[in-house]
Amino acid sequence: MRRAILTTASTADTSRTVAPGARGLSPRALAWILGGAGMLGTIVLWSLLSHALAGGGGVISRLPGPLLVARNLAKYVTHDFARDLASSLEVFAAGWLGGVVFATFIGLLLGRVQWLGNIFLPVVEAIRPVSSIAWVPLSIVWFGFGFTSKAFLVGLAVFLVVIVYAIDGCSRIPADLARTATMLGMNGWQRFRSLVLPGTLVEVLTGARVSLMSGWGTVIVAELIAANSGLGAHLIAVQQSYDVAAVVATMICFGLSGFAMNAIFTRVENRLLPWRQVERSVISDE
Amino acid sequence: MLRNRVLLPLVGVLVVAAIWQVTLVAYRLPVIVLPPPLAVVETLGELLVTASFWRDVGVSLYEFTAGYLLGGLSGIVVGMLIGESRNFRLTAAPVIESFRFVVPFAWIPLTILWFGTSYTGKILLVAYAVFFVMVVSTARSIVQVEPTLSRVGTMLGMGRLALALNVHLHAAAPAIASAARAAAAIGWIAVVAAEYIGASAGLGVMITNAASSLATATVIAGMVVIGIVGALVSVSIKWLSRAYFDYR
Repeated sequence: MRRAILTTASTADTSRTVAPGARGLSPRALAWILGGAGMLGTIVLWSLLSHALAGGGGVISRLPGPLLVARNLAKYVTHDFARDLASSLEVFAAGWLGGVVFATFIGLLLGRVQWLGNIFLPVVEAIRPVSSIAWVPLSIVWFGFGFTSKAFLVGLAVFLVVIVYAIDGCSRIPADLARTATMLGMNGWQRFRSLVLPGTLVEVLTGARVSLMSGWGTVIVAELIAANSGLGAHLIAVQQSYDVAAVVATMICFGLSGFAMNAIFTRVENRLLPWRQVERSVISDE
Repeated sequence: MLRNRVLLPLVGVLVVAAIWQVTLVAYRLPVIVLPPPLAVVETLGELLVTASFWRDVGVSLYEFTAGYLLGGLSGIVVGMLIGESRNFRLTAAPVIESFRFVVPFAWIPLTILWFGTSYTGKILLVAYAVFFVMVVSTARSIVQVEPTLSRVGTMLGMGRLALALNVHLHAAAPAIASAARAAAAIGWIAVVAAEYIGASAGLGVMITNAASSLATATVIAGMVVIGIVGALVSVSIKWLSRAYFDYR
C-alpha cells in the first residue's frame, strides 16, 4: 500500500531532519500517539469553545459541545438515518452510474473520431467551467423537486469529471501497441475491443473515483434546495428548527458516508488494477 | 491551424444551438421550460447594462476573493508545516482527514445558523473549501521536492527555516500554483451554492430568484456568467503563476 510518493517522502524526511520523535518507538506507535493527541486536542478545544460561547452573544451564538453532538448522532443513527441514507444513496447511485456510462460513451466517440472531436470538444470545454451546482435552478425548472432532478444533477457532476478521463484514456493509447495490433492482423472491432476499450476503462475507473466526492457534494446541495427526502433534507429540517447539535451530527453523517464510499471504491480499484495502486494522501501515511 | 482552432469549434457551437432550436420547435416547448438561444443572448445583453447585475457579480467576487485568500494562505502555511515536520504531520493528519470528508456544502446550513445571510458565512465557507485542497497539495509538493536540493541547502549552511522558505517553498511553488487553480474552481462554486440557500445578494441569489419567477432565459444567462467568471479567475491565476513561477 505504501508506495511511490511515500517512499520519496520518507527518504526526503530522513535526509532533511533526523526524526526527533523516534526515541525507540515504532513509527506506527508514534503515529497512533501523536494522532490520538491531535484528535484529543481538537475535542478539548471544541469543548472549551462551546463552554465559552454557551452564554450567547457575539457572532457565533451557539456551539454544542461534543457530548451533546454525540448524543444527537446516536439518536439519529438509531432512528431515521438508514432511511435517509438509502434515499440519498439511491439518487447518488442512479446519477453516478448514468454519468459514468454516458461520459464513457461520449468520450470514446469524441476521442476516437477525429472530426467529431474537433467539432464538439470545444463545446464540452466550454460547458465544463459551469459546475453542476450552477445547474440546480434550471434542473428544478425542468424536472421539479424530486428524484429526477437530483439524479440529473449528480449525473451531470459525474459526467463533467469522467469525460476528461475518458477522452484522455482513449486518445492516449500507445502508438506501438496500436501498430502491434494491426500487425497481428486485428480488424477495427478487435482492436477496439482488446486495446481501446480496456485502455479507456482504466482511466474511466480513476475518473469514477475522483467524481465520487463531487457527485456526493452535488447530492447534498440538491437535497438542501430541492428537499423532500434524504440526508440533505434532514439537514435542512433540523437547521430550520435551530437544532445546532443535530445539524452538526448530520454533517458528521455526511462525512462518514463520503469517507466510506471513498474507502470502498479505492479498495475495488486497487483490486481491479493491481499494477497501479492508488496513492494514499501524504498527510495520513504510515 | 486556423480551421481547427476557430472554424470547427464554431461549427460545434452552431450545431448545438441548432439542436436546441429544433427541439424547441419540434416539441413546442414553452419559453418557461427552454427559451430559444437568441433570447438567452438577448437577456445576457440586457443584464450587462443593469447596475444590480454588476452589484451581484461584485458581491460574489468579493466573498470569493476574501475567502480564497484566507483559506489559500492558511492552507499553504499548514501544508508547509505538514510537509516539513513529521511530528506535526502525524498529529494533524487524523484531524485534517476527518474534516476533509465533510464537504463544504454540508456546512452551508450551519454557516447560516451562525452568521445569517451576511458575507462572513460565505467567506468562511470558501476559506474552508480552499483550505483543505491547499493543505493536501502543498504538503505533497513540499515532500516531493528533489532531496538533492535539500542536501545542497544543508551544505551551504542553511538552517531548517531557511531551507523551508528559500529552497522547499521555491521548488514547490509551481505545483502549489497549479493546485491554487483547482482550489479556485472549488471555491467559486462554494460561493454560488452558499448563495442559493441563504444570501441577500450575489449571482446565486440572482439565478434562484429568476428560477422561482420562471425567467428561464435569465437563469441560463446567469449560468453562462458563472461559467465565464470561473474561467476568468482560473485564467488569471494561471497567468500570475506563469509570470512568477516559470522557472521549472
